[in-house]
Amino acid sequence: MTSIGLGHYLVVSAALFCIGLFGVVTRRSLLVIYMSLELMLNAANLALVAMSRFNGNLDGQIMVFFTITVAAAEVSVGLAMIVALCRKRRSAHVEDLTTLKL
Amino acid sequence: MNVSLTILEIAVILLGLTILLVDLWLPTQYRRLLGYTAAAGVVAILIGSFWMPVGEAEFAFGRMYIFDPLALYFKRFFLLAAAIVLVLTVDFSERLPSGISEYYALSLFALSGMMFAASANDFILVFVALELITITFYILTSFQRNRLTSLEAGIKYLILGALATGFTVYGIALIFGTANATSFSVIASKTADLAGNPLFLLGTLLVLVGVGFKIAAFPFQMWAPDVYQGAPAPTAAFLAVGSKAAGMVLLLRILFGVIPQITINWTALLMAVSGLTILYGNLCAIPQRSLKRLLGYSSIAHAGYMLLGIIAVNQAGSTAVLFYLVGYLFTVLAAFGVICVVMRITDSDDLSAFAGLHSRSPLLAAALGFSMVSLAGIPPLAGFFGKFLLLRALLEQGTASHYWLALVALIGVAMSLYYYLGIVRTVYWTKAQSNDPIITVAGPIRCVLYGCIAAMLYLGIFPNMIVNAAVRASLAFQL
Repeated sequence: MTSIGLGHYLVVSAALFCIGLFGVVTRRSLLVIYMSLELMLNAANLALVAMSRFNGNLDGQIMVFFTITVAAAEVSVGLAMIVALCRKRRSAHVEDLTTLKL
Repeated sequence: MNVSLTILEIAVILLGLTILLVDLWLPTQYRRLLGYTAAAGVVAILIGSFWMPVGEAEFAFGRMYIFDPLALYFKRFFLLAAAIVLVLTVDFSERLPSGISEYYALSLFALSGMMFAASANDFILVFVALELITITFYILTSFQRNRLTSLEAGIKYLILGALATGFTVYGIALIFGTANATSFSVIASKTADLAGNPLFLLGTLLVLVGVGFKIAAFPFQMWAPDVYQGAPAPTAAFLAVGSKAAGMVLLLRILFGVIPQITINWTALLMAVSGLTILYGNLCAIPQRSLKRLLGYSSIAHAGYMLLGIIAVNQAGSTAVLFYLVGYLFTVLAAFGVICVVMRITDSDDLSAFAGLHSRSPLLAAALGFSMVSLAGIPPLAGFFGKFLLLRALLEQGTASHYWLALVALIGVAMSLYYYLGIVRTVYWTKAQSNDPIITVAGPIRCVLYGCIAAMLYLGIFPNMIVNAAVRASLAFQL
């Protein structure tokens, strides 16, 4: 049985990133899009932690702390805006975002 | 560690916190005047920056933070832009439902993010500075939350901005994994080995996606028109000037400072991006009726022009970009100042609201006219000299493809004449509707508009001072 190496982590991380990207592109609900965006950020976090571990360099873990903090700030702002939109429009779907058009 | 280097950022953040605190004790009717306090504070910091000694590059926070002439040039640029934007905000503040002091404070926090971006010497600081700018702009964009357009613009910016963040972080992860470092200095010394590593190249490209989003370069430009149209006018002005310049300084630091060799290999890619950005921005701007949306497309086109200087990959190119940004600052802020005032009266940024502006307020008409002529690049204004410098830097490289790209840029400029001069025609030669009132302009905005017109003329006729400063700043790059 082979041990789990850097490659395995990177494959999982790339898969998570692609799933997130796919979700952003195909989903229609703002909340699900937002969840997919968080998935992309966490894919990057996983890659950073794995590389940090296998390179023996802690800088990557520090970066992950920053990413998690910033992502939390981003989520709080983003959810507040989605809630404000829901109150105004009674919906959180991208099809309804059509006021600004040529 | 040398914390004193970050004194300008610390001052800006303290100013923002002071505004938030003072708001608690201030009676409501005086709150909007806090904006003048904030603007005065920013101007004081700007003046103070001239006493900062700057020679050789100095570092703080374990070489994460760099302080050199380039950083100082951009810090002054951002401080100037923020001061003007804050004055515009005071005029705009009656139309904000609540929380005007928060608006001022958030503008100052975004400013501090831009100033950190100017000093970034590490991918971690790049990420944090970019996010500090972007997240505050999500809030600033959707600040008029009683208006659907503002909210919608904010949500669109949020989704696309978060997507760009995702790419940037993943890119940084790949760069970290291949270079085993996030510091620009360390990576720059390893580029010769890394230039052939596909994962490193992919990581760099992903980071450039995030930066390209900030400057609104094709194909990451979709947000710009919607956000410019829906956002409050001062926010759109700050986005157009500050956020774009923050993207440009990061682009310069990464492409010229960290990976100059790879940048030269990528010339063809950058050329395609620049050409498409110019053509897309100018073509889409032609049929627009909303002036803010038109300026959104025009800002895309101008990002394309600035990329010309980056494609040149030489000192002249970086000098041209730095000069162009200063000219663009005065031009765009004058235009948004006029929009701010006119929208207070008519609540519309449709071109028809600007018809016959000349007979309603000669100053507003002159400011808008000068700004459109400068954006179009007609001598003797700042926009002309900036474009001249960019094209000269590009043609110094002298290969056939550089000449073709210059031709594309000139075609773009020719197309832009049509819609810029169309606005001038609307302002001066279209009759105003008879019931349109005379527009009075408040004193501070009046000063800002006069200042912007004077600066556009000064930069176009006597560009030496800023060009010299830009040349000194560009010495940061060993190309």
